[in-house]
Amino acid sequence: MTRVGVVGIGHTVFGRRSDATVQELAYEAYRDALADADLDPQQIDASVIGSVPEYHKQRSLAGVIQEYLDLNPRPTWLTEVACASGSAAIRTAWMSIKAGVHEVVAVIGCQKMTELTTPEILALMGRVGDVQWESVFGTTFPGYYALFAQRHMHEYGTTAEQLALVAVKNHYYGARNPKALFRKEITVEKARASDPVASPLNVYDCCANADGAVCLILAAEDTARELSDRTVWLDGLGCATASMSVLRRADLTGLPSATAAAREAYAMAGITAKDIKVAEVHDCFTIAELMAYEDLGFCARGRGGRFIEEKQAYIGGSTPVNVDGGLKAKGHPIGATGASQACEIVKQLRGECGERQVEDADLGLTHNVGGIGQYCFVHVFRRD
Amino acid sequence: MFQWFGKVSYCPHTKVSGFARHLKDGRLMGSRCAACDHLSFPPRADCPACRHGEFAYAEMTGQGSVVTFTRIEAAPAGFEDMVPYTVGVIDLAETGRLLAWFGETIPEAEIAIGMEVQVVPRMFEEEEEIKVYYTLERPGTTWVKSDSS
Amino acid sequence: MNLGLEGKVAIVTGGSRGIGAAISLELARQGCDVALTCQGRIDAANEVAAKIKEMGRRALAVKADVTSVEETERTVNRVVEELGGLDIMVCNAGITWDGVIWKMSEKQWDAVIATNLKGYFTYNQAAARVFMKQRSGKIVNLSSINGLRGKFGQTNYSASKGGNNALTKALAKEMGKFNVNVNAVAPGMVATEMAATIPPEFLNAAVKDTVLGRIATSEDVAHVVVFLCSDYARHITGEVIKVDGGQYI
Repeated sequence: MTRVGVVGIGHTVFGRRSDATVQELAYEAYRDALADADLDPQQIDASVIGSVPEYHKQRSLAGVIQEYLDLNPRPTWLTEVACASGSAAIRTAWMSIKAGVHEVVAVIGCQKMTELTTPEILALMGRVGDVQWESVFGTTFPGYYALFAQRHMHEYGTTAEQLALVAVKNHYYGARNPKALFRKEITVEKARASDPVASPLNVYDCCANADGAVCLILAAEDTARELSDRTVWLDGLGCATASMSVLRRADLTGLPSATAAAREAYAMAGITAKDIKVAEVHDCFTIAELMAYEDLGFCARGRGGRFIEEKQAYIGGSTPVNVDGGLKAKGHPIGATGASQACEIVKQLRGECGERQVEDADLGLTHNVGGIGQYCFVHVFRRD
Repeated sequence: MFQWFGKVSYCPHTKVSGFARHLKDGRLMGSRCAACDHLSFPPRADCPACRHGEFAYAEMTGQGSVVTFTRIEAAPAGFEDMVPYTVGVIDLAETGRLLAWFGETIPEAEIAIGMEVQVVPRMFEEEEEIKVYYTLERPGTTWVKSDSS
Repeated sequence: MNLGLEGKVAIVTGGSRGIGAAISLELARQGCDVALTCQGRIDAANEVAAKIKEMGRRALAVKADVTSVEETERTVNRVVEELGGLDIMVCNAGITWDGVIWKMSEKQWDAVIATNLKGYFTYNQAAARVFMKQRSGKIVNLSSINGLRGKFGQTNYSASKGGNNALTKALAKEMGKFNVNVNAVAPGMVATEMAATIPPEFLNAAVKDTVLGRIATSEDVAHVVVFLCSDYARHITGEVIKVDGGQYI
């Protein structure tokens, strides 16, 4: 069975990009990826765009991006699964290559969030969950994760301070990542003193909106080996859904979609959680990263608080997590995040991360969640 | 009619719009499948057990217990005038779950996972439009005054 | 026609004579327990109460100043406690004090507005508070065709009756969601004690004014009030129904 590998990567600075449209951002990442892969655009068979439409005034984003990248008449389409749109684009590209339909596919995860006015953002904020039964009471994205956090604290004694440690770690690494939105370290005290958002989560427990784009060039095995000697293989894929509504989640201390997706990805790659050397997980909120340690099997259920306290998620710990700053420090341009996670893992596996390099990183994982866990994509990358 | 439900409604059309009409009359309704009797809350037209598409409304007692909760301080559009507010998710006695605000009979400091509550139908009385919702109250709280006290 | 009023509790202001007495008695005939208020003539009020008790219903006669919010609250609370609740509120207490505007004293104006308009505010408010909580109730405000048209010498009275109509409509909008109907009945000339002081030529003129060739009895008005209190009228709200024999079309 042919493998699929990443032969090129490009990643814009994440932040308030009031200097560019979404297609101009996409172009930055695309140009860098082409250079990184030393690829002629003629060799690209198709593109898949991961982005969330409701934040843009431009309708039908994939079309305008394809045009600006001068990729007409190649096929393109949009994949949207909320914050996991980037990974969905990767999975789709992988499937199209596996099926033999395309040889080389450009995956572009991109998002502009700052084009919306504050009233427009506030109007979108309330529509994250089930609008029929939950949004009518003013639920919000942080509100949902706060519900999970309260339950986790109730069942396992997890503390708000332990949650803050996740933010401290991610800001530590974000300070060392030139592409990140936030480049300053923080303290637990600062995190706990920040304004409340939804109890127990404060501002510093929450990721920030940002603009950004990431491009990955995926290729079929033969072509990949021709193109690059640094190919990182996407060997394990898992994908699962869970109810959109919290009213139908049996367990509120973890994301069942993540557990299922991880199981599937590990099986496909023929590995276990212990084999993962470096991971990028979806820390839209601190509690989300903590639950990810458990859902992915990096530690036992309920021990996420201890895991971060013991610094196991730092470089040198049992499983370094989000050593590029995660969503927390990079910012979360929702369609781009999944691709950003993959980009970081590719760089780690290539040994290109400098002071943030994890030693002997040959197996890496991305964990990309859509919304409040209604979608999860787990990808396992391998460097031979 | 489903537009009646909630402080802000994003869902004008649904097969279970009768839910809102019943709520205005003080009745919390789930749905019972016309073919296999399966009870669902929230109500849904399409039976999760047997896929049949016809149902009847079935009144719930509104008794339940708190699964989790949070106090929301940053509000989305339409809720700015009531922030902060605390939402709770409860397991209902018969089946299913429900999300709602805690009401006046339960002070913030007393909210705890596991506590018993009563879902009480409510209406925004000072709005000209009809807007109905429900709150989580101390067990025994009733919808309308039952005596003249 | 069974109006379904059996066992309901009603308050009628100004129920000691005239239209108010007729309404009180008709409500009782339909099965209601009735509390009636009067300004000063407690004997007359007690007589009406006695007649109601003879019918086998409970009755309460109360001397009350309708212009006082505090006294109204006390009266309504007392009725709810002694008669076990409240289902029907009929505001009927009203006075006239006619005169051309350039000769009208401040007291003339204030007294009519206070009794006729504020006196409806007080009882409508108290009843609304009860009805809201129980999600049911009927309010009927007695108005007049002189609130729909202007009457010479009645700038004060017409203002108060026009005010009753508008109050009724606004209140209907507020109370609808609580399943409470709020309506007004606007009689023309009625053969009551108040009318007995009117010179014959004016009465005849009034008869001529009507299309039906007669002026109303108190019962004519009471029947419409009672209809509005029944479930037969459950879909009527915010309405002003004239009972004037076609006096003002």
